[in-house]
Amino acid sequence: MLRASVAAERAGVPSVSLITPGFERQALATGRGLGFDGMRVAVLDAHPDALSHDELVAGFLANTVPQVIAGLTAALDDEGSIAADEPQALDVVATGTIDDIVDLFNDRGWSDGLPIVPPTRERVEAFLAVTGHDPWRVIGVAKPSGREVTVWSVAVNGVMAGCRPEHLPVLLAAAEILTGAQYGAEHSGNTTGADALMVLDGPCVIELGYHFGPGAHREGHRANTATGRWLRLFLRNVCGFTGDEHDKATFGNPAKPVLAEDMEVLAEIGWGPLSGEFGFGPDESALTIARINSTIMIGSVFGATPEAVVPYLADGLVRVTGWDLTHVYGLGGGHYRPLLVISPMIARVFGRAGWSKQQLKEALFAAARIPAWKFEALIGEWSNLTAGRPKLHDLAAEGLVPPVFGESADPDRLVPIVTEASKFLIAVAGDRNRANALAMSNDGLHGMWTSRFVDTSPSLDLVCRVDGEDCAG
Amino acid sequence: MMACMLYDVVWPKSPMATARRPLSPRLEGGLAGKRVGFLWDYLFRGEELFPALAEVFRAHGAEVVSYDAFGNIHGPHEAQLVGEIPSVIAARGIDAVVSGVGA
Repeated sequence: MLRASVAAERAGVPSVSLITPGFERQALATGRGLGFDGMRVAVLDAHPDALSHDELVAGFLANTVPQVIAGLTAALDDEGSIAADEPQALDVVATGTIDDIVDLFNDRGWSDGLPIVPPTRERVEAFLAVTGHDPWRVIGVAKPSGREVTVWSVAVNGVMAGCRPEHLPVLLAAAEILTGAQYGAEHSGNTTGADALMVLDGPCVIELGYHFGPGAHREGHRANTATGRWLRLFLRNVCGFTGDEHDKATFGNPAKPVLAEDMEVLAEIGWGPLSGEFGFGPDESALTIARINSTIMIGSVFGATPEAVVPYLADGLVRVTGWDLTHVYGLGGGHYRPLLVISPMIARVFGRAGWSKQQLKEALFAAARIPAWKFEALIGEWSNLTAGRPKLHDLAAEGLVPPVFGESADPDRLVPIVTEASKFLIAVAGDRNRANALAMSNDGLHGMWTSRFVDTSPSLDLVCRVDGEDCAG
Repeated sequence: MMACMLYDVVWPKSPMATARRPLSPRLEGGLAGKRVGFLWDYLFRGEELFPALAEVFRAHGAEVVSYDAFGNIHGPHEAQLVGEIPSVIAARGIDAVVSGVGA
């Protein structure tokens, strides 16, 4: 919405953005990230979702509309810019003991609340020297902060998070995803509080020491945990997702450790990794990121055949899917792609039967269904994110959803939770001797599944120089 | 007593990459005779708010261009539609815009 107002300002036209209470700082920060300080906003009395029509309109006319008119017509002041007073990358911003630095980073909102490793220049240089990347290579522009993303900024936060230098290629792949056009990093602070999941696969899982066995998605392994922590620190410090700027999550989640796939079991059953869905082969290292709304555990999956196991998995996918259906039709039409993480023991059931991933997806598409009335309620009556209260039968007749959603007008008929079988995503990780799975709903276009190559080869930059001097190493 | 090592730490943020630009000039002389476009993200009850705003603007002598002219600026087509905003503004002769609803 602010992005639309910025487009108007760039076109030479004054704008005012309507926002709800609590979004004033985010609105100004979004404008700042796009080059405009002091974007004009008009604030509603209260969030509209809990007001009657009369309450909504009366408050709007009395208090918000005057702000709209003033914002379009009142002469501009010279607001200046915060950027002019900010430090440079190599400036020492503080000197102190470990306790001093930890307190200062917390007080300034530069930490996640846990102690950080002090990012001294020497430590960051040593971190970079191992892989030989040019610290000043620009990866892109952080969204929505508008800050420059350099290898240096990635490394500083990597040091703070406790990453090891050899993890840098994974961090760089993540930074490329966050700055790219596909993923939608600018939505990382939206109110649902969906947080990014990083899935790593390929040879780098073993090479870089990422854990994929028991407790695969729990902290306790440095590579997985520190990389997950880095993502939150980077989103906070470089992308601007703090409570006083872009982070508007109602609840949010703790940092998610990297989920690394069990490449050995995947090879054994002849399946490709998750990144294979996005063009990568099993011999290529790749990082895949998406934002996850909800996760549920599918426990104790009993069964020696695919036919016995599929109902558990389909039920889990149905149970984790609710509001997320607005990414099937509505807010993010056709972009809902839930992830099913199955343990190696379950994966081997399919492997023994000779099932491909696609066969499993087709079976899930047939089994993971909900009544049409409930689907319609979730995208219509129970959400203000879809205009009108559409019926799936009508949408199918208009070609707006696939025909399978409109095979009859019976409200009790069962309909899929995704638009086609290939929308389901599958990963293999966790304890090889346990038959459990995870179902994860993703946040559609607010964090679309995006993969990048993880290049672990020594950097071609090689001569790592910071401010004209060779890096320590 | 434990020795207190001191750390000189660098900034964990990064410089702004985007060039600063001034806001566009506001509407001199008020709304009368101006054409105001509405941009809606099809969220948060804009279908109730924008008609009320349109009535006020018309009472001030302004003309209103409906959000239909721009399409849903939030959703799968956001990047495309936001990119088209300047051309819609030019084609419709729009003098100012009100966008919403951010929540």
